[in-house]
Amino acid sequence: MKITVAGIAKEYPQGLTVRKLIESENVETPEYVTVTINDDFVESGAFDSTVLNEGDNVEFLYFMGGGR
Amino acid sequence: MAFTNEQLERYSRHIILKEVGAKGQKKLLNAKVLIIGAGGLGAPAALYLAAAGVGTIGIADADEVDLSNLQRQVIHTTADVGKPKVESARETMEAINPDVTVKTYRLYIDSTNITDLIKDYDFIIDGTDNFPAKFLINDACVMAGKPFSHAGIIRFKGQLMTYVPGQGPCYRCVFKEPPPKDAVPTCKQAGVIGAMGGVIGSLQAMEAIKYILGTGDLLTGYLLTYDALKMEFRKIKLPKDHSGCAVCGDEPTITKLIDYELPSCELKSQG
Amino acid sequence: MAEFNIDDTVDITDVVCPTTFVKAKVALEELDDGQILCVHLNDGEPVQNVPRSIKEEGHKILKLINNEDGTYDLIVQKVGD
Repeated sequence: MKITVAGIAKEYPQGLTVRKLIESENVETPEYVTVTINDDFVESGAFDSTVLNEGDNVEFLYFMGGGR
Repeated sequence: MAFTNEQLERYSRHIILKEVGAKGQKKLLNAKVLIIGAGGLGAPAALYLAAAGVGTIGIADADEVDLSNLQRQVIHTTADVGKPKVESARETMEAINPDVTVKTYRLYIDSTNITDLIKDYDFIIDGTDNFPAKFLINDACVMAGKPFSHAGIIRFKGQLMTYVPGQGPCYRCVFKEPPPKDAVPTCKQAGVIGAMGGVIGSLQAMEAIKYILGTGDLLTGYLLTYDALKMEFRKIKLPKDHSGCAVCGDEPTITKLIDYELPSCELKSQG
Repeated sequence: MAEFNIDDTVDITDVVCPTTFVKAKVALEELDDGQILCVHLNDGEPVQNVPRSIKEEGHKILKLINNEDGTYDLIVQKVGD
């Protein structure tokens, strides 16, 4: 199935969970990443139970603490 | 208020713009912007806001200028090392534009002083370098109904978002709680390319200017990310529904400001 | 100039380009739709550029009067708010 991750559409296996996607995309600090699917937040407690569907648009939002 | 010929010349490139004009330039001269943190983000923001003729600029920072700051904090010079950052920043801003009144606050922000600090300002720029400060600014601005620009920079990356009361998500909608201390690196530990502050801090100044002018689309409801190595900007849409947010939602569970614990390496340098 | 009902006058002979146009633009912003501004300007570059720039902003040039002393009076009607 085709899903779009951080703006790039790619083929992913059926039944992929958010947790598995985080692992396969080598997300930095995976414990603290915010995930949205189709412009809705996914609670971090639901990463294992949320299965992605064809055409989904996934974004990873990262903490960025610097500034001075 | 009538412009002097000198002001007409100084602001001519602004006044010529149909989105600014004399009316817009007067709005800028009457506006008050607070910059929290006179560092990598705050320095370029302060320079552009002063040059633009933002009439009152507040700047808050407790630190002194350090040699290691000068790689990115372009408002300070080598001769300023050891001087309070707010003093050094004030001198530079006043040298750029005598129309600007600079108010300095030599302090660390915390739950006891931030509400009083922001109350007289029209727009706030978060130029701090740690999560406790960023969450504090968000919560205080939401509670006081103040618009602000959030930003973060690290290594070759930066990001920002704009909060306007009643218009979409706040920082806490996106990032619920600060990460445990030392779990996510800050620039001191991880490094940052100096020009990153210039890019992102200038964008923050641009948001403040657009907000004051009331022109264009603000970065509300979006997170803009910049990856310098890939030379890629992305404007990521944020979820619209913020009814469940702990601070800006329909039934807020956070109604008092929180002083989160600082990472051990940042104890001496909060924004 | 008696043929026009001048609402305001601005002298832009004391500034140089692009402040010439900026000063005229600021004076026009202060007026209401339909009001008339007299712009006192120098020969040369100002008279070549300022009327054109004002026209591009959508205002109406009613007349350009040569004062025969190296200056002109440009009569402009403000269009829009």
